[in-house]
Amino acid sequence: MSAVMTPDETPNTDLSATSDLGRFLVRHPAALIGLSLLILQILAIIFAPVLSTHDPMQANALRSLQPPSWENWLGTDVSGMDIYSRIIYATRINLLISVTAVGAAFIVGVPIGLLVGYYRGWASNLTMRVFDFVQSFPVFVMGMALVSVMGQEIWNVAIALGVLFTPVFARLIRAEALSLRERSFIAAAKCSGATDIKILFRHILPNALSPAIVQISISIGMAILLTAGLSFIGAGVRMPTPEWGLMVSTGSQQMILGIWWVSFFPGLAIILSVLSFALIADAARDFIDPRRAR
Amino acid sequence: MTISDTWHRLPRPVRIVLARLPLLAPQMLGVIFVTFILVRLLPGDPVLLMLGNMATEESIATLREQLGLDGSIWSQFLVYFQNLIQGDLGVSLFTSNPVVKDLLERAPATLELITYAMILTLLIAVPTAIYATVRPKSIVDRASRVYGLAAGSLPDFWVALLLIFIFFTTLGIAVAPFGRIDPMLSAPEFVTGFYTIDALLAGDLRAFMSAASRLLLPVITLAIVNSGALMKMTSSAFGEIWRSDFIQHQRASGVPERKIIRAALRNSLPPLITLTGFLFGFLLGAAVLVETIFSWGGLGQYAVMAVINSDYPALQGFVLVAAAFILIVYLIVDVLYEIVDPRIEV
Repeated sequence: MSAVMTPDETPNTDLSATSDLGRFLVRHPAALIGLSLLILQILAIIFAPVLSTHDPMQANALRSLQPPSWENWLGTDVSGMDIYSRIIYATRINLLISVTAVGAAFIVGVPIGLLVGYYRGWASNLTMRVFDFVQSFPVFVMGMALVSVMGQEIWNVAIALGVLFTPVFARLIRAEALSLRERSFIAAAKCSGATDIKILFRHILPNALSPAIVQISISIGMAILLTAGLSFIGAGVRMPTPEWGLMVSTGSQQMILGIWWVSFFPGLAIILSVLSFALIADAARDFIDPRRAR
Repeated sequence: MTISDTWHRLPRPVRIVLARLPLLAPQMLGVIFVTFILVRLLPGDPVLLMLGNMATEESIATLREQLGLDGSIWSQFLVYFQNLIQGDLGVSLFTSNPVVKDLLERAPATLELITYAMILTLLIAVPTAIYATVRPKSIVDRASRVYGLAAGSLPDFWVALLLIFIFFTTLGIAVAPFGRIDPMLSAPEFVTGFYTIDALLAGDLRAFMSAASRLLLPVITLAIVNSGALMKMTSSAFGEIWRSDFIQHQRASGVPERKIIRAALRNSLPPLITLTGFLFGFLLGAAVLVETIFSWGGLGQYAVMAVINSDYPALQGFVLVAAAFILIVYLIVDVLYEIVDPRIEV
């Protein structure tokens, strides 16, 4: 894989991309699985009230820890809440947090990356050192500290993850911008009197964006895992809000007693959700850069 | 003789270490500053949080003075910094012990867990990745690709619970997932802090077996989850070398494959060392979750208790130690990197 592109190898962004996408999906079953899983999640988010069989936050002491049955498809947890319905509703919370966090990191990180990649100087260097520094902390430890300091609320989890992901996007865009600024089409734009803003957003940004777009999908997957992990240790979303990691946590005491369904199914939901974003990222990488596919 | 001459007479590894060490001080200062700011971001008054609703005016003022919270933010930082230099990280609100004491007691448990997890992860990931690169399209290659994708999607805390359910609850072949050693046995005398090593040093085979068997599930959990990512990264680092011109040239010259692999491996050592450093940092974060599940009694579990009990001095201490630990690991990584790559000028 080479980082330098000749003009006739520009990334696949034209209008014929839609039909290309169809052909691509047929040839890449993994991508098709990823996309189907994603569509399933979107359906779960939109139609949660229709798809669920119970109120996700309705405790029922009489039906505590029931194994999977016709009444409760995936069983009930210790307070008698229906696990299937909670998993469906949790899709909303988990994806809301992750997509918001990654979206914010993208919106903040991309312009920073453009600026520090295009302009050299002490401010750029300082910004990069600060990012190195933020990234040198273990993500989970930092997330835990941020959330517990800010207060354990859904939005604070999203903000903490957003802060942690911002350097990732800035770094990717910077790396692209650094090589693009030396290219002749940028020099040509400069000669024809384009302003810096125009060069940055019209010429550099579109060409620098593809790795960051792939990263969005990877980061959403990571954000889902981190959110679940934070809730699992009690530093994230709180009961009775349906959230996958929290649901695994409520069953963790029973797992050892053989009551497996309380933790098992929400964990499966996490895996399928993260996997869908990983598969999509992998496919997007091959789609954008066909030479990479082996 | 000039300074430069003396410098170049020093052995290369010594020069590398000496050139790196001065960078540690500002980085460490940065870590201290960030952890300080983190706790100052707290909504509300930390003194009121610590003392609760029953606090009198007097006790608030006294504690505020004790904590150095009555001055400006800079003077507060100075007080914090002075205490830190003297090894004082404050007192845990939950255990009532000095945080430094708590952390020191718990660090070996975490280090032992992470070290074994790292060894197992490397043993799984690196040979598989190399085999998959050398034999593309083989079963190993395909399997490692699927595994690389899937393992990254596994929540470690869920894998830990599942392993407990399968091997302890259902099959009954694993030991109880509580703590580092059978509570009926006494912990071996402290030498390294690693129960397995200390038990062997003391010649206590039963303690060794108990400690080793309790390590099994948490270590396997961490390895299952993390070897996928390492496998992927090793393949891309090793693969790049494997497809490079000098390897092609060796192959064209009829060098036997074993030798080519060895040469490629030698050349992919620098990126591999960097990856191992990242892995160590990552495992430190993952240990927080896994320790909680196995009641490991290490730093991670301490941090979780700190979060749950709003024990800010303890949390601050943990973040500081974790960051310092990572910095030291990265320093070692940088030094090793430069040692194995003779092209880097020092």
